[in-house]
Amino acid sequence: MAYSDKVVDHFNNPRNMGSFKKDDADVGTGMVGAPECGDVMKLQIKVQNDTIVDAKFKTFGCGSAIASSSLATEWLKGKTIEEAQKIKNTDIVQELNLPPVKIHCSVLAEDAIKAALADYQKKTDGQPTGTK
Amino acid sequence: MGYTPCQFLLMDKQQSPPLLDTRRQLQMARSMCWHCQSEVTGEYFCDRCVKVQPVSKETDYFTCLGFPRRLMLDPQKLETKFYELSRTFHPDFYQTKSADEQTISLSNAAVLNTAYRTLRDPIQRAEYLLALETGSVKDIRTSPPADLFEEILELQDTLEEYRASDRASDHGHQLRATLQTEQEALERRKEGMESQLRQLFTDWDQLQDAGEATSLTRVERDRILKQMRDLLSHRTYINNIVNDLAAAIV
Repeated sequence: MAYSDKVVDHFNNPRNMGSFKKDDADVGTGMVGAPECGDVMKLQIKVQNDTIVDAKFKTFGCGSAIASSSLATEWLKGKTIEEAQKIKNTDIVQELNLPPVKIHCSVLAEDAIKAALADYQKKTDGQPTGTK
Repeated sequence: MGYTPCQFLLMDKQQSPPLLDTRRQLQMARSMCWHCQSEVTGEYFCDRCVKVQPVSKETDYFTCLGFPRRLMLDPQKLETKFYELSRTFHPDFYQTKSADEQTISLSNAAVLNTAYRTLRDPIQRAEYLLALETGSVKDIRTSPPADLFEEILELQDTLEEYRASDRASDHGHQLRATLQTEQEALERRKEGMESQLRQLFTDWDQLQDAGEATSLTRVERDRILKQMRDLLSHRTYINNIVNDLAAAIV
């Protein structure tokens, strides 16, 4: 099985790799894993006025998992929280041409987005500013 | 293919399954020989016309190899059974038979190989049993082990730092020592998980052997499956990082 050009491109030049400070009030962190293959993904968003101004990821897993999360961070930037909720794993599958055996990688990326958004919302709901 | 698919039974008759699920009842239902249409009650061949019978797609790997759904399988017995059935279905013995029989023996041999490869490895066997018992792995919701993820991500960072460092420098040595310690600790944790898993395997088998389907045994069944699911996935995460560490600090 060969990876699509887009997967290879994201794998060789991952966008937005890195991390933010987890405890910052404007940062949402999603950490997810795929129990089947043991891939681990961390995806973070930085939010200002309901808009995602920056996103970063760190993924330890296969090429498709890296590409899925790299693409996810690209898509997240500039979106509002509400728009971000709408990103579906099927969009990622389509964009990256993922084969059926790699669909779980895109699911992982969607889960990571959801987890990051939920983490951010949890932070803002209770405590508008400051502490963790 | 010109035959009616029919059920293929390898059920060990002494070992009637204690918890009859519908799928297994289906498998136990009598079926028709693809060739002579008489009822097939035997194991791999029709009693009447002695034609080889196809392994049904519905047949699980345990049934296929003639074992009950237990997790502590004797590898010796499994191997013996596998060799025996491999001979039974070996395409070489079907050279002079009809095209249908050749197709059936070949596909039976393929199923058998997959079944054996899956059941031979205790971890794969447990994963497979979980999939059978819970429909799909995702049916049991497990809480993501956030602490473990954090630990893994931190270790991966250190690993990257080590990869980028000058290995001969003091800093490189230091990182290597840290990673080595971590690797040993993780190996021990993995072993701990594996012995916990073995305990769960025994629990599962005992529950199946007892055979009563009360509300209490159902609770116990769910507990075992859930804990097994958690342990298996945590073990996979740890296994991955251990392998990464081992590859980097050889």
